[in-house]
Amino acid sequence: MQQLDLVFSALADPTRRAILARLARGEATVNELVEPFDLSQPTISKHLKVLEGAGLVSRGREAQFRPVRLDAAPLEGAAHWIGGYRRFWEEGFDRLEAYVETMQRKEKGHVRKRRRK
Amino acid sequence: MSASAAVSEPVAERTVVITRVFDAPARLVFEAMSRPEHVRKWFGPVGWPLTLCEMDFRVGGRFRFAMTGPSGVQNMPFGGTYREIEPDRRIVYDNGFEIAGAGRMVVTISLEEKAGRTTLTMSTLFDTVAMCREHVGMGFEQGTNSGFDQLADLVASMVRSRG
Repeated sequence: MQQLDLVFSALADPTRRAILARLARGEATVNELVEPFDLSQPTISKHLKVLEGAGLVSRGREAQFRPVRLDAAPLEGAAHWIGGYRRFWEEGFDRLEAYVETMQRKEKGHVRKRRRK
Repeated sequence: MSASAAVSEPVAERTVVITRVFDAPARLVFEAMSRPEHVRKWFGPVGWPLTLCEMDFRVGGRFRFAMTGPSGVQNMPFGGTYREIEPDRRIVYDNGFEIAGAGRMVVTISLEEKAGRTTLTMSTLFDTVAMCREHVGMGFEQGTNSGFDQLADLVASMVRSRG
């Protein structure tokens, strides 16, 4: 599977998204992840394996705690695709709206100047 | 999927329509879309400037765009050909990423002015239903759109803070 496919199947689960949201605030050990989610440690580990396979998280070296941290790089590619097209254009049109407004103001300004002459 | 299969897929299932009303005459909206010095000022999301913007704005002319994200690396260029241009009313072009095997889309923009306000309708026809879903982000895990919206926000803020 391509990485984008792996990223999307990893993201297509609410628990895994919640884990990523938690890791966005800073790295955590597996135990720290188990607490807020009310899931068993093996279940969390299973989710982490999927996230790791997608390159979204990595594990530290310290054998005992092995903190999990977020790797945001693959998300940059995914960000384009997440609801991407509509969102992309809605944001672009927001900017277009503001830009057309400035064009219009400039135009009116010129007309006024011309009239004053 | 073969090209012939793609052609037979229902148009409605591979079309995305986005509309927006502008408090400005159509000629200004059209102008803002038809010249590179204007397009550079508004195209795409905040934080992703167009760092490549070539436009030969006439029927048969080509355009080529690329954006640079917060990581500072220019993204894959995309572009196509202007197929129809009707000043202040209509622009039709095809578009796609410049990579072998990338799907294409045909975009129709129409402008409708009424009492000084302009309704822009942008209709995008993708090659295949699969491509349409890939771009629009639906089709997998339906019903969690708001979750994906939040995730998109989160991802955007993470990308920004790390860029």
